[in-house]
Amino acid sequence: MSQATKSSPADQVSTPTPLWATVVKWLALAVVVVATVLLSGRLADQGYGLYIVLAAMVAMAVLAVYATRRNVPAKYLLPGLVLLLGLQVWPIVMTVSTAFTNYGDGHAISKEESIAAIVRSSVKEVPGSPRYQLSVAVPEGAPVATGDAVYLLTAPDGSVKLGTKDGLRDLPAAGVEKSATGKITKAPGYRILNAREINARKDLTQFAVPVPGGGGIKASGLSAAFEGKATVTYDAATDTLKDTSTGKTYVAKDAFWMPQDGQGQGFPQGWKENVGLKNFQTILADPTIRAGFLMIFTWNIVFAALSVITTFVLGMLLALLFNDERLKGKGFYRAVLVLPYAIPGFVTALLWASMFNQEFGLVNSITGLGIDWLGNAWAAKAAILITNLWLGFPYMFLICTGALQSIPTDVREAAKIDGASPLRTLRSIIMPLLLVAVGPLLIASFAFNFNNFGLIFLLTGGGPFEAANTSIGSTDLLITYAFRLAFSGVAPNFGLAAAVSIFIFFIVALMSYTGFRRTKGLEEVN
Amino acid sequence: MHKRAYGAVAVSGVAALALSACGGSAPAPTTTAAGGASPSSAASTPAASPTTTGAPVRDQNVDLVIWTDADRAKTVSDFANQFGQDNGIKVAVQIAVDTRQQFKDATKVGKGPDIVVGAHDWLGELVQNDTVAPINIPADLAAKFPKTAFEAAKFNGQTYGVPYAVENLALMRNTALAPTAPKTMDELVAMGTAIKAKSGGKVSNVMLQPVGKTGNAYFTYPYLSAFGGGIFAQKANGEYDSSKVIVNSPGSIQGAQVLAKLGKQGVLTTNVGDDNAEGLFDAGKSPFIIIGPWGTANAKKANIKYAVSNLPTLAGGGQMQPFLGVQLFYVSSKAKNAAIAQEFVTNYVTRKDVQLALFKALGRPPALTDAYNEAAATDPDVKAFFEAGKNSKPMPNIPAMNSVWGPLGQAAADVISGKDPKTRFDQAQKEIVANIAKG
Repeated sequence: MSQATKSSPADQVSTPTPLWATVVKWLALAVVVVATVLLSGRLADQGYGLYIVLAAMVAMAVLAVYATRRNVPAKYLLPGLVLLLGLQVWPIVMTVSTAFTNYGDGHAISKEESIAAIVRSSVKEVPGSPRYQLSVAVPEGAPVATGDAVYLLTAPDGSVKLGTKDGLRDLPAAGVEKSATGKITKAPGYRILNAREINARKDLTQFAVPVPGGGGIKASGLSAAFEGKATVTYDAATDTLKDTSTGKTYVAKDAFWMPQDGQGQGFPQGWKENVGLKNFQTILADPTIRAGFLMIFTWNIVFAALSVITTFVLGMLLALLFNDERLKGKGFYRAVLVLPYAIPGFVTALLWASMFNQEFGLVNSITGLGIDWLGNAWAAKAAILITNLWLGFPYMFLICTGALQSIPTDVREAAKIDGASPLRTLRSIIMPLLLVAVGPLLIASFAFNFNNFGLIFLLTGGGPFEAANTSIGSTDLLITYAFRLAFSGVAPNFGLAAAVSIFIFFIVALMSYTGFRRTKGLEEVN
Repeated sequence: MHKRAYGAVAVSGVAALALSACGGSAPAPTTTAAGGASPSSAASTPAASPTTTGAPVRDQNVDLVIWTDADRAKTVSDFANQFGQDNGIKVAVQIAVDTRQQFKDATKVGKGPDIVVGAHDWLGELVQNDTVAPINIPADLAAKFPKTAFEAAKFNGQTYGVPYAVENLALMRNTALAPTAPKTMDELVAMGTAIKAKSGGKVSNVMLQPVGKTGNAYFTYPYLSAFGGGIFAQKANGEYDSSKVIVNSPGSIQGAQVLAKLGKQGVLTTNVGDDNAEGLFDAGKSPFIIIGPWGTANAKKANIKYAVSNLPTLAGGGQMQPFLGVQLFYVSSKAKNAAIAQEFVTNYVTRKDVQLALFKALGRPPALTDAYNEAAATDPDVKAFFEAGKNSKPMPNIPAMNSVWGPLGQAAADVISGKDPKTRFDQAQKEIVANIAKG
């Protein structure tokens, strides 16, 4: 394979292609085409027009690149490009666009949907009105699926009525048969629909038999009907909702329907709308957010930096130790050391949380310290760093072992011959070479720990909290803080959370950029 | 190795990558439903039991789709099939792992079920996002349930669900350690302290109640309610009023003072939390625990002889009243089969045999009074839990409750670990009011 990657485009013309490779290639292309067609079918079923176009474009790109002999560089770049667009660029676009909206619980639907939902849920049973037994029917001979539906109703007193879209009238009792519960099972001139036929008539959800007083007889299920009346009406001319039962008028305010007179509460069903820079303003102006930000930001940096330093130092020391030729059974030790890395992080975090329990935990019962690990702000910070050290050192051990093994032995021998002490060799020869190799990984590790949501969430939940403010925890990272900020209000606010994550993105990007610049400098020194 | 061969390998790799990239970027649930939820349902309906945590994919070819969690799926699908046979339709019961969230997300994009099974405190959030539809319940049917059951299913004066079970906290005791039930908290503490002293180190806690470092508002509420305090004041129609927070009302403060006293005595501690309270009780480390009906199964498994009784009364106040939780069948506002769904919840879920079947599967007291009476006659646990919650009020179902859990829980934890009750609950009140105002 490595040979193939090194060959120049010129070779490609000269070397004949084996038959099997051609077959496999065209089979794979066929698979792509078939899979795209199947996928498009499924997407079409579910009504995702945009995604069909995207899938088709990806498939065409695959064909254009791999079915032809041209575009050799694209043959290598396409997989990465597709993944980059799908897994990186697309979520970023979604996040950024959400940040300019008020999207969240209570603001999940459109304004039209909110009006419809409010009006629909204001339909209440008219007090004292009769409740009917219901059979849904169509006139004899009319098509079941489209014929004008009628309601055959039995009033509580046993009289039978006919409800049409024009109103309610008596049904001639002659020839009408009823079940034991009073439901009409047969009426001359009408074909009664069964459950499945009623269900298929989607128009029935809107159907109501008008009755005097503005209400309507509506079905409740398949076999009962009640007289209901909507108490809220929408006036498109003034863009207001009016509740006829209380006489209150509601106007659109902050994407909610609020009472015009400012008294009392509005309707819970708000709508999603564009709010421009409001979420960003909130972050910069809200006193709670500002007060917490600096403290959390400082701890966030300290946490990420200390996590990287402690795990790296421990991992490197162990790697140096186990890289020594005189040590027997290195494979075994190495395997054991990697174990913490192999156990899922959330299991480890929960385990450590119970080990840090002040009264019942292993840590205090072994050391006899009696520290309130998770209840004291400083102890909780220490507990987090200890847990993260346990979780993180195997990774550093692995990469350091790899990097150490790639350092040529002749440099060390040269140092030895020149009379350098082991410590001097480590400091002046091994460390610089090691750092060049693992430097970028340390930055990556920093960025990862900067947003290490899972550890904090599972171990302390961001706590312990300062007395008067349970939105700022003493072990909170920006990301757990953002999470709480977005979800601890009355309603989860995805718009605000998206705005916060954009801020976090810029902070991490800035620090990573500086970091990478530094490592570049390191390389130049060498 | 030839250039061409490399190309071929790359192509097959890309085929897979390209497809996975498409799948990954689409928000549609990609879990494929397979297999039957239960042997009985597999025969007649294509019920799904997804093995991943994704939302189930709605079956297009059935007349009614119900989502529930794994615990309830078997029973629900048994009688849903019966309903299907009675009405000549096909019913699918699907398991949603995170029912609340998945229902909300799926309904938003029109892929939700017709019916969803869930707790009543989801209601405010579901109405807010227009995901559930009102249900018309005739008065004579509502009368067959305790008043609080339908009260819990109401939001803004409209009924949105049909109750099938209720649940609340009660006092559970290890009868090997504490043969008789204490009536008052003072009695409980005295008994527990004596038992602990006698045990020679085997018993570590006088009583267990999850507090944790960040507190637990659900377990805090009974202390406040014993003195007439609580979280929100009720409106005339029984609904909670989010503009009247009563966390620092005199009654609530009295409750907080009891928490402080119990904390000082070491009865309550922040070192007992959700993660270890049940385990400690099941290991015989304490004679008493405050717990809901979900605790009986593990106690039985651990071979603990237990009995359930009312929460104790507090000196100077009344009996501790836990929150009442009501389990409901909701009809989706975007139901594709609305008529059948309404029929199912109003006329089928309210049947005695159905409620009893759900009781047998879940161990929660049935909501229907007739069904409860029959269950209580045979099962002392169910009777005891029901009695403990007989006079309790439903947990608030208004969205403002989201702003309460954190501040109230933390205030209780702080008071238990020694902070001044009045100051701390005043702060919590202020914080809750501010959070609600933020919207």
